[in-house]
Amino acid sequence: MIFKRELKKNSKSLIIWLIILSALTILLLSVYPQFAQDREAVEQLLSAYPETFMEALGMDRLDIGSVIGFYGLQVYLYITLFGGIYVAMLASNIVAKEENEKTIEFLLSKPVTRSQIIGGKLLAVITNIMIFNLILGVVSIIGFQFTDEAIPWSTFSVLIFGAILLHVSFAAISFLLSAAMRKTRTITSLSLGIVLFSYFINVISAIAEDLSSLKYLSFYYYIDAAAIIDEGAIPIIYIVIMLCVTAGCIGLSYVTYNKKNIAV
Amino acid sequence: MGVVELKSVTKNYQGNRGITDVTFTINEGEVFGFIGPNGAGKSTTIRTLLNFIHPTSGSATIFGKDIVKESKEIKKLVGYLPSEVHYYDDMKAIDLLKYSAGLHNYHNDKRIHELANKLQLDLNKKIEDLSFGNRKKVGIIQALLHEPKLLILDEPTGGLDPLMQNIFFDLLKEENKKGVTIFFSSHILSEVQKLCDRVAIIKEGELIKVEKVETLTQNNIKKVSLLLTKEANLGLNMEGILSKEKNGDDYQLLFNGEISSLLTMLAPLEVKDILIEEPTLDEIFMHYYK
Repeated sequence: MIFKRELKKNSKSLIIWLIILSALTILLLSVYPQFAQDREAVEQLLSAYPETFMEALGMDRLDIGSVIGFYGLQVYLYITLFGGIYVAMLASNIVAKEENEKTIEFLLSKPVTRSQIIGGKLLAVITNIMIFNLILGVVSIIGFQFTDEAIPWSTFSVLIFGAILLHVSFAAISFLLSAAMRKTRTITSLSLGIVLFSYFINVISAIAEDLSSLKYLSFYYYIDAAAIIDEGAIPIIYIVIMLCVTAGCIGLSYVTYNKKNIAV
Repeated sequence: MGVVELKSVTKNYQGNRGITDVTFTINEGEVFGFIGPNGAGKSTTIRTLLNFIHPTSGSATIFGKDIVKESKEIKKLVGYLPSEVHYYDDMKAIDLLKYSAGLHNYHNDKRIHELANKLQLDLNKKIEDLSFGNRKKVGIIQALLHEPKLLILDEPTGGLDPLMQNIFFDLLKEENKKGVTIFFSSHILSEVQKLCDRVAIIKEGELIKVEKVETLTQNNIKKVSLLLTKEANLGLNMEGILSKEKNGDDYQLLFNGEISSLLTMLAPLEVKDILIEEPTLDEIFMHYYK
């Protein structure tokens, strides 16, 4: 019941996000063939950019002359960054909203346990993330039809897997905040802050050599498109870290929510 | 065994008035009043019973089930109407009620319409467009819908006009006849008197006493305000005067006894103005239930 209700309630914002990001994906990928044709001109143009700018976007390591490199630089950036923002907003609202709007008094007076509430809402978040990435994956594949180039499908699937992992990790952190705290506005700001800060750290650490060890603090570094395209895989250790953060946050969400005094 | 049994329940929590060592029992089929001024701990007690908040110490059972460990089982049998109803803005009244029925696994949709008819509620309006009173009706229906064995009502009449209050009370009496136990919290003495068999009186987080309503009504306490023309030496030593306060020519009495003997006593005095009224709960508590 709670799962179904949350899916329905959040479907509108999912659809809006998907329409915008799908349109952006198609638009960007439709530009690629021309981009590839005038490759020399483009490279010349890019060389005019300052080096730090290239580093910040990972353009020094990505071969934007191949379709997957182009995808990694452009589309993947939007999917991971905007996707991170989307899931942070979704997960930070989903539990605390009931307290903020005092509807939790209704829900708790019904024969459901708190674990069922957390479980239903968590499942709704994860389902939304899966739908989000599945649709954008399909849209990307459609977008690839603009070029005749062969697509390295295994690299492409690792990229999608990385995006899902990133989204789930950010969602888990936001979800924990949502379960533990009360004020949705604070929670949303905090969650968005974590996502943007994480992105920012990744950019900074790429530019400034002194700060390069900071990169390990950023999930964005873990799923860096250039590294994935180079290696064809995400290092196991990064996957383990993200899964541990996710599992830890989910576990803590259950524990804190069950202990919480809910008086509205 | 009582339907609701509290044993030395204490709840302290920050920012809110807690309750201290509250013990009472509600019997099956009873309409049990729970009365006290605002902020006395009524809602805290109810929220503890429903496990929204966890007791600091003590224990309680509903239908013999532990309120913390078996909360889900308890809620299958309980209908709860909060003092302020808040529902999902995106839902129509009918959606909310179907959601509620679904959570209870209750499938008799006919009852939604029966109850809505009785309370004259338009089910197809969005909840956010409903007036305060109509929202309360949605609350009443979701509390009664799944045919609970125990109703917990926290200040249920707020926002209902007198006509609707009567309809609501009739509904409650009907349910009570079917054997439903009712726990009725209020700060209005008269509505508790109308409906309840026994009442628990709570003040500043402590249970003062549990009493039969008849006893309360026998205590026919009146508040008498007098304005006398000149310094009259008001003897006022007659039986039944619980307290007196003098402020210039103004006198304030709390009187418990025969009204006619009060009038006899007042007759020889030069009274410029007189007001005899129901005392507020606070006044009763202050002077009577010390």
